Amino acid sequence: MSEALAFLWLPFLVAVCLVGIHAYFGIQVLARKVIFVDLALAQIAALGATAAFMLGHPAQSFATYGYSLAFTFTAAILLAFTRAWAGRVPQEALIGVIYVVAAAAAILMIDRAPQGAEHLKQILTGNILTSGLQDLSVIVPLYAAIGLLHWSLRSRLTGTTSLVWDFVFYATFGAVVTSSVAIAGVLLVFSFLIIPAAIGVTFGATLGTQLAIGWIAGTLTSAFGLLASFLLDLPTGAAMVCAFGASLAIAGLLYPLLRGDRRYALRTTVAAARWGVAALLAASAVQLAAAPRADQPLLDVAETMIPSLRSLYLSRSEATTFADASAYAARYNAEAEQLNAQEKGRRTEGDTLDDFSIARISSFLKSYGEMQKGEQFVMQEVRARARERIRWVGAFGLMMLALLGAPFSWRSAAGWLSR
Amino acid sequence: MRCAHLAAALAAWCVLVSATLAQDRIEVVTTTTDLRSLTKAVGGERVAVVSLVPAGMDAEEYQPKPQDALRLKTARTFVRVGLDYDLWADRLLLTTSNPAIRRGGPGYVDASYGIATLEVRGMSVGPGDGHAHGNGNPHYWLDPHNAEVITATILAGLARIDPESAGTYEANRKAFLARLNEKRAEWETKLAPFRAIPLVAYHNSWPYFARRFRLDLVGFIEVKPGVPPSPGHLAGIVRLMKERGAKIVVREPHEPQRDVAFVAEKAGAKVATLAGSVGALPRATDYIALFDANIDALTAAAR
Repeated sequence: MSEALAFLWLPFLVAVCLVGIHAYFGIQVLARKVIFVDLALAQIAALGATAAFMLGHPAQSFATYGYSLAFTFTAAILLAFTRAWAGRVPQEALIGVIYVVAAAAAILMIDRAPQGAEHLKQILTGNILTSGLQDLSVIVPLYAAIGLLHWSLRSRLTGTTSLVWDFVFYATFGAVVTSSVAIAGVLLVFSFLIIPAAIGVTFGATLGTQLAIGWIAGTLTSAFGLLASFLLDLPTGAAMVCAFGASLAIAGLLYPLLRGDRRYALRTTVAAARWGVAALLAASAVQLAAAPRADQPLLDVAETMIPSLRSLYLSRSEATTFADASAYAARYNAEAEQLNAQEKGRRTEGDTLDDFSIARISSFLKSYGEMQKGEQFVMQEVRARARERIRWVGAFGLMMLALLGAPFSWRSAAGWLSR
Repeated sequence: MRCAHLAAALAAWCVLVSATLAQDRIEVVTTTTDLRSLTKAVGGERVAVVSLVPAGMDAEEYQPKPQDALRLKTARTFVRVGLDYDLWADRLLLTTSNPAIRRGGPGYVDASYGIATLEVRGMSVGPGDGHAHGNGNPHYWLDPHNAEVITATILAGLARIDPESAGTYEANRKAFLARLNEKRAEWETKLAPFRAIPLVAYHNSWPYFARRFRLDLVGFIEVKPGVPPSPGHLAGIVRLMKERGAKIVVREPHEPQRDVAFVAEKAGAKVATLAGSVGALPRATDYIALFDANIDALTAAAR
């Protein structure tokens, strides 16, 4: 656990800073209905950095940052005008156009300087896991300054629709997004921006409560996502984005329970869940009866979780064949790994293996791979045949389970039948 | 006056001959810059070689351009890495109207033919070592010894198209291998003090290099291509580096700087930027310079 803390405390602090500023901007973005503006601004910043790179400036230099910022401010002017231009065409469409053109222009530039590809990737796919004190030393003063500016100008920035204040909004937002996307990547920054704000707006009435709810939800979700990524060995950014998605789903489920008629909401939720389960079981029953040899997702998941379920429908000889094939497949895999390890060991210890021995090992490895595949085929075939045999009984059983699970009024059904 | 006419005619004839000679050059297209360098070494003046993937770009993620199809149209020979490294070439070859260079045609050369491949995992994908290749690790040109096999395959391919020049190709290849062997001895002496030195690489591009120069690759930062490493994996790599005393992280110029610098800092190691292909570093101008650059970078980091 101490290892986890050593790896995660800095990313967590960075996430807290990012949630802090983005939840605020998210509420503004939701109010202005310009949801994807952060993607457009990030892409423009990346385009600026690519241009700087093409002109010979090294990555992470002052000049590169200057180019990014200059491009972002230019885009902010364009964005400030989009509200005026958006008559028949919604503002979001114009923002989307800015995004795709910036992305395509960057690709065209990179085509002339291949080393720039990595450069562009670094700007748009930051990894929050590898962020550190250096990032914090940049974003804490920057975000504090922008936060103070917005607080002092709050009456002007929220209500009115003047071009100048729109420009100030987009320019400051661009400065925030440029740095945050480089740290955390496009996907995660979008989640930081929209999800805590959406939860805040759902439950809070004033800007203050909305912000407080967004901050709490965002911080808790970040901590949960980081921890899950460590414990379950998942890529951090993607795990956090999914955690944010889950938190929004939970908030959506909680909303009617907290705000509406509680008893009615609870009853509807339970009924919906039962209908869902019943539909899943019924669909599996139809799939088993109609195409027993095809994939059976529900059965496959159940068997992976509880392997003993297989004994319900495999005959004794089938079960033996299945177990044997599984054991052989594992053995071939282990032997192949042993050969690979042996080859790797000889790279540095003793005499090197000559090409002939290497080729021999390779052909052994290929054979082991094929044999392993063969055993896997046997396992699939045994299972498919057994499923084919029990298709009608199995489908009937699943259908009965579905009927039992469905929130169905048996009394009225019986009354209808006796009529 | 007659003299002048004669001189003019002679000059015109010279121009014509040199033009036909230039036209006569066999057009060869390779997927990577490494194969371009090796094909040049064998073909010499008789061939005009272009490579499709620009220097310094990740060849596994290359997306062909319309110009590439045009280049293939007039090519007599097509040389590829194979082993699923340049899979995009299959689709590109299907779009070309030049059947001679398609798979099975006389102009098709798979340079992996006859290579003793490492880390074969059959057709099923084994546990993560950074590759989804069942056919073995495709970075085989990073062992200079394999250049003997690759150039032999290229020689056979060129001789199929242009049998008259087979002798020239043979002589070119011999001269190149003599120079390479001389350099190999030099490289091996340079790296001899660092035998079995533990290294961590970003991507598993270096098993052939490690085998030839007797280096110990203990782990990789990128477990699956295109998926960022998880914190658990990075923590494991840092722990492993401390246990094994690995003080060098190997990175190619197109691989992310941040992730590599992060691991190196946590483990107190240095980053060595090596070229995985000709042209990936400014110094790596051809196949031999590629090893010169890499071995100098590695010895500098190990010292």
